[in-house]
Amino acid sequence: MRVRRRIFNPLTELTLAALFVVLVLVINNWRFSLAVLLLVVFPAAVTSGRAGRIAVVFGVLVGPMLLFLLLLHGLFFPEGATVLLDLGIAAVTAEGLLFALSMGTRIAAFAGLLLTAVLSMDVSELLATLTHRRWNRKLVFVLGAALGLAPLVSERATEIMKAQRARGLVVTRNPLSKLRALVMVGRPLIAGLLIDAGDRSRTLEARGFAGTVPRTSYRADTDTTVQRTVRWVMLAAVVVFSIWWYIGRAG
Amino acid sequence: MISLDLRSFRYDDGAGLVDIAFTLPAGDRVIVVGASGSGKSTLAGLVAGQFDAGQGHRFVGTLTVSGERLTFDGSGSDPRIDLGAWGAHVGYVGQRPTARLSMVCATVAEEIAFGLANRGVPVERMHALVQRIAERVGLTDLLERDPRRLSGGELQRVCIAAAVVGDPGSLVLDEPFKGLDVTGRRDIEVLLADLRQGGTSILQFEPMLPSGVDSGSRVIMLVDGTTVADGLGVVEGNGWLGNGVGIEGVLPDKGSPSAWAVTKEESAVLIRGLTFSYGEDPVLSIADLDIHRGEAVAVLGPNGSGKSTLLQHLNGLLRPTTGTVGVLGQDLRGRSTGSLAATVGYLFQDTDQQLFEATALREASYGPRASGRSAKEAEQLALQALDDVGLADVLDAHPHDLCFRQRRLLALASLMATGPAIWVLDEPTVGLDLRGREVLAQLIRRHTRNGGTLVMATHEAAFAEAVCHRGLRLEGGTVAERLQY
Repeated sequence: MRVRRRIFNPLTELTLAALFVVLVLVINNWRFSLAVLLLVVFPAAVTSGRAGRIAVVFGVLVGPMLLFLLLLHGLFFPEGATVLLDLGIAAVTAEGLLFALSMGTRIAAFAGLLLTAVLSMDVSELLATLTHRRWNRKLVFVLGAALGLAPLVSERATEIMKAQRARGLVVTRNPLSKLRALVMVGRPLIAGLLIDAGDRSRTLEARGFAGTVPRTSYRADTDTTVQRTVRWVMLAAVVVFSIWWYIGRAG
Repeated sequence: MISLDLRSFRYDDGAGLVDIAFTLPAGDRVIVVGASGSGKSTLAGLVAGQFDAGQGHRFVGTLTVSGERLTFDGSGSDPRIDLGAWGAHVGYVGQRPTARLSMVCATVAEEIAFGLANRGVPVERMHALVQRIAERVGLTDLLERDPRRLSGGELQRVCIAAAVVGDPGSLVLDEPFKGLDVTGRRDIEVLLADLRQGGTSILQFEPMLPSGVDSGSRVIMLVDGTTVADGLGVVEGNGWLGNGVGIEGVLPDKGSPSAWAVTKEESAVLIRGLTFSYGEDPVLSIADLDIHRGEAVAVLGPNGSGKSTLLQHLNGLLRPTTGTVGVLGQDLRGRSTGSLAATVGYLFQDTDQQLFEATALREASYGPRASGRSAKEAEQLALQALDDVGLADVLDAHPHDLCFRQRRLLALASLMATGPAIWVLDEPTVGLDLRGREVLAQLIRRHTRNGGTLVMATHEAAFAEAVCHRGLRLEGGTVAERLQY
């Protein structure tokens, strides 16, 4: 059974994800990055109701990067002194592996946090919250359109692929066949999205989107004073911690 | 009130509109009819203010809305239309409803309210207005649904509701009934009549004359971008028809009965115990269905009754949850959709979704090439199919530069080029003008006369009766009625 995570307002979840990203970058330690991955990202993704989708996107985006890091730094790390395996032109070194581990966990935590937040988010609720908070409407729309684009692109690509299969396209397990199908979908997909974008832009304008009166929201405000306070406190805490990490510790 | 005095509106490539003038007082309706490519959508977009003066076109004339008169002389100093202010007076429902969605609304209710929210309407009033318009267009049960998950007809109703919820005073509707079933259409017609009584003026664009146009409605006929007829009400036989415009619901000739031979011994489609569900929701249940070679069968029913779902089982785009589907004696289990293209040709409801090549010829050649034919053979087959549908003179045109009729016929030619014995057509007449319907009817008859099979989903009972042997009426995913024509 699918369990939907709905504990915090989407703005709180997005703030949490962004602050954890900052901490991962500031602390820059593979143990911390791994802890974030296992104790924050993993449970959040599993209980999001969209674990499968998050896993697929994470695998497609982050998997090749991790492999590349492992090969590049594991075999060709210039400062590597402790050789674990000598392969002639390349050598597996302990320092190279440690660097790849550090970079890899950092990228994985970074991507995992943002992907989990974005892919499990109720975009409409986020936009309603930002509207209630009186954020700039164009900024809100750009954010909403960017977050809402992925499912739209995915649906259009599926429809185009269906049409091509109905006309004789056979996609096999062969990577070349998959690549060919991808190329065939890409052109009409982009053309269709561009045509849509023109119509959509005029429709939005005609529906008063570019107006200057304060916007209202059909959806009730699900944000709470407690969550607003917590967001500011978390933000302040991360700023103070980062300053201490860079300056206070050194002193 | 809307008033237009258009001397010319020309795109940079030369196409455009010439000499069109009308005034649409409060509470009146003007219906603009014209075949595909006659300039209807250009005119609709112009009145709706959806053009940027000087950007790729020149407009000479005047446009007046709610007392504000704008004069254009085709120069760089032409006025710019503030679409937000214009849209508050002129509601516009254009074609391709999916491109009209805001993309940031999770529910139908929010989508309808989007324009109100942008104009700062208080929440309580917004909720009341959305509820009221939803009741009037039959969307009450869909208010919490994701607009991106609606059928074409349902989405069209959302676009109409979004256009009228702010009470704009004038409405520009470009083929508003496209894709709607009988009930959906009736709801919209009642709504439009109510709006007119309340003083809203309506400018409606149609490829065919709607049946039963009242004598108080003004009708303008466009041919090649200019007015060729203009008057109150229209009756058949008064010289109006022709010019590629017909009356909705009027039967094309049924053809000679001797041509309607069906080979009862040979099954083209055989369905047994078919059920299909999305998740845990059953959407289709067909106990048994036999369709023979040479037979044409219409699948009728309201929006969401399972017509497209049934059709997509015939070439494996959807697979049964239980039961079997057989085509020309072969069980479809284990057969990929792509490998069936030479046996089952599928025409999608959304034509633009299935055109993906750079020229008409390449588009029609794609199927035969994908089915393993050589480039030369594929081109020959494509040329023949394009000639059959009357597109031999636009071989090098980009599909998206063709008019709607040509795009629909190109999609049909693309499936014909692979020579499938079974044609599966999903709403092929939606938005099609008279000439397009005549070509389609001729091609269907020729196909079945030559032993081919047709399965066609449609809302148009008259067209179905004219080209099919029998029909199935689906309701709630099951066969509610079997019809013999």
